[in-house]
Amino acid sequence: MLSNNYKLKTPANLISNPLGATVDRLAALGLLEKELFFPAGLFGFPACRHYKIEPFEPGDGSESPFLLLNAVGHELTFPLIQPASMGLDYHFPRSAELLAALGARAPEDLLPLLIVTLRETLEEITVNLQGPLIVNPIAALGAQLVLEDQPLRHPLLKPADAEDLLRSC
Amino acid sequence: MLILSRRSGESITIGDDITITIVGVSGSQVRLGIAAPREVRVLREEIYKAMQEENRAAANVPDSGRKLEDALKQLQIKNPGEPDK
Repeated sequence: MLSNNYKLKTPANLISNPLGATVDRLAALGLLEKELFFPAGLFGFPACRHYKIEPFEPGDGSESPFLLLNAVGHELTFPLIQPASMGLDYHFPRSAELLAALGARAPEDLLPLLIVTLRETLEEITVNLQGPLIVNPIAALGAQLVLEDQPLRHPLLKPADAEDLLRSC
Repeated sequence: MLILSRRSGESITIGDDITITIVGVSGSQVRLGIAAPREVRVLREEIYKAMQEENRAAANVPDSGRKLEDALKQLQIKNPGEPDK
């Protein structure tokens, strides 16, 4: 029974934590209106330093945990997800240097967002836990960190979900 | 590329505020000590390249809207009350 509960953790969490609430929270933080400035850009895209975040809205109008990070003035979009939306207990070092760099007064000001790497099949989709985007919605500043002890490619779907998917094909 | 020879314990400086010291040499492995300002990011090259490659793989994926919708369906398809297979 315990293992069943574990396997069902991700969908249960998504249902009990629908994006409506998440989007409202992000909107309340001002994250969805503001243009975010990443002084160092993102790895591989040093010239793209201004971004806006919008919720990803599925065609059927339902809610989703995904966000889109759009570069301002460039054709560049990354899908994002919040660790909490995946049921992940995710931690990153909120050092004094990071707080200062992002103009944050308190560690709670900093919000982690994870880049989703979409691939050909669902079970290949991964989330980058090693290079989180850390944003301070108040100051509209962000940075991509490197956490060497975290995986670069963490599956979005738990193995149990992916197995079910394979069986249904 | 500038190539310099250094012995263990010796250093090189880059600009005014970066110093790289050869801390030790053991066979083919070299231990470096790097003193640089906090805002200068120091990474092993393979980590730096992996981060670049992962970001590039995640950027502007074709058909991403459909893929996100498919992933969403899979995440929500199971009812938490349902017995596991």
